[in-house]
Amino acid sequence: MDYFLQNFPQQLVNGLETGSLYALIALGYTLVYGILEMLNFAHGDVYMVGGFLGAGVAGLFVHNGVAAVPAGLIVALMALACMGGAGLLGVGIERIAYRPLRNANRLAPLITAIGVSLFLRSIVEVQVSPAPVLVPSNALVPQTVIQVGSVTTPFMALALFVASVVLMLALDVFVFRTRFGTAMRATAQDREAATFMGIDVDRVIVATFLIGSALAGMGGLLFGLTFATVNFFMGFLIGIKAFAAAVIGGIGNVRGAMVGGLFLGVLESMVGGFISTAFQDTFAFLALIVVLLVRPQGLFGQPLPDRA
Amino acid sequence: MSAQAQAAEAEKPRLQRLWESGPAGWNAALTKPYVMIPFFAGAATAPFLTQFFVDNFGWTGGEFWVRILATCAMYATLALSLNLVVGYAGLLNLGFIAFFGIGSYAYALVASEQLHQHFPLWLGLLTVIGVAIAFSLIIGVPSLRLRGDYLAIVTLGFGLIMQELTLDLDRPPTLMGHQFGPNGLNITGGTEGIHQVDAFRIPKNLPLLGTAPHSWVYYWIFLGFLALCVFLLMRWRRTRTGRAWIAIREDELAARTMGVNTFKYRLLAFTTSAVIAAIVGMINAAWLFNAYPGNYDVQQTVLVFIMVILGGLGSIPGAIIAATLVTILPFLLQPLILYRYVVFSLILIVIMIFRPEGLLGTVSMRPRKTLGGTIELLTAETAIEASELPAVTDTEVADLEAASGAIVEDPEWKA
Repeated sequence: MDYFLQNFPQQLVNGLETGSLYALIALGYTLVYGILEMLNFAHGDVYMVGGFLGAGVAGLFVHNGVAAVPAGLIVALMALACMGGAGLLGVGIERIAYRPLRNANRLAPLITAIGVSLFLRSIVEVQVSPAPVLVPSNALVPQTVIQVGSVTTPFMALALFVASVVLMLALDVFVFRTRFGTAMRATAQDREAATFMGIDVDRVIVATFLIGSALAGMGGLLFGLTFATVNFFMGFLIGIKAFAAAVIGGIGNVRGAMVGGLFLGVLESMVGGFISTAFQDTFAFLALIVVLLVRPQGLFGQPLPDRA
Repeated sequence: MSAQAQAAEAEKPRLQRLWESGPAGWNAALTKPYVMIPFFAGAATAPFLTQFFVDNFGWTGGEFWVRILATCAMYATLALSLNLVVGYAGLLNLGFIAFFGIGSYAYALVASEQLHQHFPLWLGLLTVIGVAIAFSLIIGVPSLRLRGDYLAIVTLGFGLIMQELTLDLDRPPTLMGHQFGPNGLNITGGTEGIHQVDAFRIPKNLPLLGTAPHSWVYYWIFLGFLALCVFLLMRWRRTRTGRAWIAIREDELAARTMGVNTFKYRLLAFTTSAVIAAIVGMINAAWLFNAYPGNYDVQQTVLVFIMVILGGLGSIPGAIIAATLVTILPFLLQPLILYRYVVFSLILIVIMIFRPEGLLGTVSMRPRKTLGGTIELLTAETAIEASELPAVTDTEVADLEAASGAIVEDPEWKA
């Protein structure tokens, strides 16, 4: 019990930090699912591409571990490239691969999404690098370790948490306080009725992909800066976990995805710290299955009618 | 269709009519005993053909190509089994390849020095079937009650859990500081997998099989099992069960309204598919003498998906043709071998957008608005067979209506 009490705060902090990354990616799933009712399996790979874009920009300005221009400027440029590039990628995927199938059989866009996911992963593997690519984060962000009481955290992990929370709050304001956000929520509620109200549904869908993918790209950047490495396979597992987080929070529910992500991160960290490091992922998915069984609509979701 | 149009249709040459009937019609024309039996008979002689070329023309690729053909037959069976669950029942099982792995590992555990067990073939087969059923129930019972999308994610997670377990169970699991099992416990062999798995013990005095080279024997075993699955699916297609599956896939709500127990039939499709995949895994383990974790990763599920989509959802001959193409293609395009997943994923995307029914698909993936589309689809599938029957009986019409979950109100069609 002592062991538990001593380590609990540290595991909680670790979990919140990982969880904020899950939440950032989960938002993209939940936004798209809320509006199109489709699982965008390629979302995790958009996050991966974001990570690589960040690494690429960093590679342009950092040579031999020395930044050529002020580090803050480089990070800003990286953020711009990651969010912009990933956002455009998401919009492109929607335009080319999903829009032609919007009214097709329910399985069709899901299968295309699997294809897009495999395409992004394998093209990066073949064309960019099959091995992990280093991100020169030690030249870009302070490498200090912050200590509060018995809890320690690297500066960047804390920055990851703060940046994610800020982005999530901004999205929350956008979705719940602006006119366009209202249009998004209306489209999610009933696409046809939204059309009758004069909402340009296509524009809403494009914006949804842009925002979700930009957040994922930012996630890729934050991951790269925190762990100093990106690889072509990194979007796969985290994509599935972020989806699990979105489902736990109630798929289609923006605030649910945030809470679900943090919940899953903390759960995983607790399992890793107190039960077994080897079976961390197993427990994460068991949590998902239990949530689906006990409360299929997720923690915050509205009970959904079963779509035939 | 008016009477004149019908008469004009009948005057066209048979082959032209067949050509114009589209993928569903081609599929129906190929899914016939008089196509399938010669096909399998011909395929079974392939090793002799390679031997002939080796003996007479000094060809060196004989054994190699028999192995590739065995791989084709293996993937064709996997594609059929995935087709059963995706194409017939409309369930997106993304952990499909895990069942292939479960079959391999279950057999490898009871037929190698790993656990010092050497079960005879029949007992090994029963073990594999039992384990596959157990796992498919564990996954299927909770998740098949949920919305279809959740099944995709639960099965995907299941596939990952199984992969993690095979990699981590080479040592006793430790939970909360307690070690379960004695030191040195090694169940799955971790990244090494399980080696020196028993091949099937085939009596030496058996004609042909007893003396043929190893790869030939396993080619025939794969081919035989494929033929068995094709036979079962062709029979099943026309039964109450097969129709219930199609009805669920086309319109679940309507199927349920007509009294189809959707959960029961979905679980049946899920479990059957799992058992077939597990048996294929078992044959594969005996063929290669090992169970290796790299053979069961998620990439493999996508590969089998590509076969199913390329061949066409719901199509038996399509699955066989596509599995053969996708298996052989990398060998023919050696310079592009690095790009194979890029090419395959592009094929998948392009097919879904421009030709969602694949080569011979029977499932309409195209945008559709009306319930009538379902009826047209089902009638197109049966059209060719119906034209050969003396008359469509009323019970068959009733079955069709029940299957499609809607009531046919078109008097011309009934008459």
